[in-house]
Amino acid sequence: MIYERPELLKDLTAEETQEVLALGTKMTVPSGGSLFRLGDPADRLYLIERGQITLTLPMRVRGKDQDVIVEETTSGQAVGWSALIPPYKFTLAATAPLETVIIALPREALRKYFAANPAVGYKVTLNLAVVVGHRLQLFQAMWLREMQRTVEKHATQIAGPGHNDYG
Amino acid sequence: MEMFLMVSCMSMLALAVTAIAFGAATRPEKSSSADQLELRPAAKAVAPGRFFVDQVLPSQPQTYVPTEVLLAQIDHHVRLEQAAAQSFLEAPSHTQLHTKTTTPFVN
Repeated sequence: MIYERPELLKDLTAEETQEVLALGTKMTVPSGGSLFRLGDPADRLYLIERGQITLTLPMRVRGKDQDVIVEETTSGQAVGWSALIPPYKFTLAATAPLETVIIALPREALRKYFAANPAVGYKVTLNLAVVVGHRLQLFQAMWLREMQRTVEKHATQIAGPGHNDYG
Repeated sequence: MEMFLMVSCMSMLALAVTAIAFGAATRPEKSSSADQLELRPAAKAVAPGRFFVDQVLPSQPQTYVPTEVLLAQIDHHVRLEQAAAQSFLEAPSHTQLHTKTTTPFVN
């Protein structure tokens, strides 16, 4: 099997990788299919083997809830890490814009394996911290950009037209 | 002389009657022209905008953007903002953090 090592299993040996992957079940999400919805119980972590998963959040647009893209993930990436973090509820919705093959790893199976193999659990936890940390930093920067614009707009409204001190 | 005075008086009387009749006949026109006078200040208010084409645009009625187009714009905005945020993470600096994008929601 030609398989790129998932980001969550980085630095694991080939044997460890195979052992972790053996805990999961391969699934195919059809094009346009839903992997999970916002608020669903998160009991499985997903590794994308092939295809793409789009993570969205609902936004109220003209009185209707519309899914707005938050992140696009491709092969080798992990989605659904809410399965490893209390309260084990998905905080995003995930859909497949094209037919996508994933490996679903049950939380309980992972927890038992990590308990028996703490070195592997440590490596996976570090990799998970990278994934979570990257998203946190990305959204921190996006939030500050939006805040900056809100402040500029507010300052302009107070000062009146032609008094934008922020360039 | 008496004839001349009588004809003059009759002419003046006829002229007065004609003037009154003309005034009565043209009264509605006078009121509509008064309305036009009332509208003139509004017309003057937008007149300066006509000097430059881009200044006239805000006074025009806004065009309806279909929801699909709006959603595509939101999608585009998110992608651009993520790319800008990613650039900041790769080389953190104040300038990188506030890089302008071409998103229609900001410009």
